[in-house]
Amino acid sequence: MDSREEQLRAGLGRFLDAKWRPGAQVSELAHIPGGASRETWRLRATAGADSRGMIVRIDPETSLIDTDRRTEYRAMEAAYRAGVPAPETLYLEEDLAWLGRPFSITAEVPGCQASAEGMPPEHRDRIGRQKWAILGRIAALDPATLGLGDVMPASSRETCAAEQLEYWAKVIVEDELHPNPVAHAAIRWLRRNPPPPAQKLSLVHGDYRTGNFLYAPDGEIRAILDWEMAHIGDPLEDLAWSMDPLWCWQTPELAGRLLPHADAVRAWEQGSGLVVDPAAFRWWQVFAAVKGIGIWISSSEDFHAGRSKAPILAMAGWLMTDRQQRILVDYLSPFSQHRFVERVK
Amino acid sequence: MIPKGSQAIGHLVTRIAQDLLPKASDAYTATDLGYFTLLLTMVAQDYDRAADLLVSEHAALQPILRAAGARLADPALQARIAEALQMEAPSLKVSDLTARADVTMKLLIEVHAAVEDAEAAGADWARALNEDIWRFLGTHVAAHAYDVML
Repeated sequence: MDSREEQLRAGLGRFLDAKWRPGAQVSELAHIPGGASRETWRLRATAGADSRGMIVRIDPETSLIDTDRRTEYRAMEAAYRAGVPAPETLYLEEDLAWLGRPFSITAEVPGCQASAEGMPPEHRDRIGRQKWAILGRIAALDPATLGLGDVMPASSRETCAAEQLEYWAKVIVEDELHPNPVAHAAIRWLRRNPPPPAQKLSLVHGDYRTGNFLYAPDGEIRAILDWEMAHIGDPLEDLAWSMDPLWCWQTPELAGRLLPHADAVRAWEQGSGLVVDPAAFRWWQVFAAVKGIGIWISSSEDFHAGRSKAPILAMAGWLMTDRQQRILVDYLSPFSQHRFVERVK
Repeated sequence: MIPKGSQAIGHLVTRIAQDLLPKASDAYTATDLGYFTLLLTMVAQDYDRAADLLVSEHAALQPILRAAGARLADPALQARIAEALQMEAPSLKVSDLTARADVTMKLLIEVHAAVEDAEAAGADWARALNEDIWRFLGTHVAAHAYDVML
């Protein structure tokens, strides 16, 4: 057992003894791969006859996404209470006394996996239909009733698109290690061609994609994960991000490697009660690629500055930036063959 | 110098993927090793092509910047274009070529924005130059693409 694991076991044991059950013991502690924004561990907490699987998300010194843990926790909590499949939130702890860094704990969703590669082919269609129906349900929620006003800035139907664009444009300008003329051309295109006001304001997950939900062996989606970029905005933002070609690179005809794009949109429309305006959706598709470049550029900057040695940050910064630029050229160049433009209606 | 550098890095990738990764003690370590194979594959591709791309793209940008310098009215931008056209990298080291490329690509961003404004104002030359820039960007992005299965 390494010293990090020993340190965590002791700290979590003390925490759970104080907050969950007296005499709590921690076992089966395992570092979960893939969590790029937080250091993620699985554990079993036991106190007498009580035993429960838990997931601990610990703030990193740096991460793929510079976001606030409280926003993530509260968004997940709100979604869970609203009946969206999400992990049950248990503790948000910002006192550094326990682990030296803030952390949150959720209930483990047992027997599931998130891997797109491991998805049983016979369940892809079912998983896809659920994926976009659940996203539609999130879009249909009334954000005013979710109690998130203190952790998410207010927005409006008219301004939410520009707010998101300017946020990510700033990230790109501040974090790019080398000038990125494709991203800047896309930012200018987005500014010149603003979308119509959002049909409604919604809770936007912010990173809704294949790989960020847990599914059971029978193909049922049990939990939507990774709410750290959640905010209030246009529900088309999540839809466009979920269907970005980056998530189906080898099979661009299948959104998220799951469904034909038009089927995904239909499932979302049925779940949300909203109608996709293809012109507005196109704006959000271009925006999704710009936002992606912002995320990947930031991760690359963290890696190269030496704040993190996590290879996933380098992978995102090098490969994903490359691919996201190819997507933008495909969308915007007058010479594009439009390999990534799929019929959505 | 490393003999056959790209190939040598490829051998390291094979060693990690075939021998070390299966012996990883936990899923987290295995995932990191998987990323290392992917990243090293990309490093091998850049090792071979980086200098060539940086030199050939600098040459490809010259006529675009020259045409922009002749058409755009902003004297400050014209002066910077003229300066960029004269710029020599102190050596053929990838770091020096990259520093020069950073200057010209930053300039290209400004030139592209100015050309778009001119096109929106109805200038025919701007439309043609905008197309040249997009042609350059398409070639640039395709040439820098990594060939990896993921």
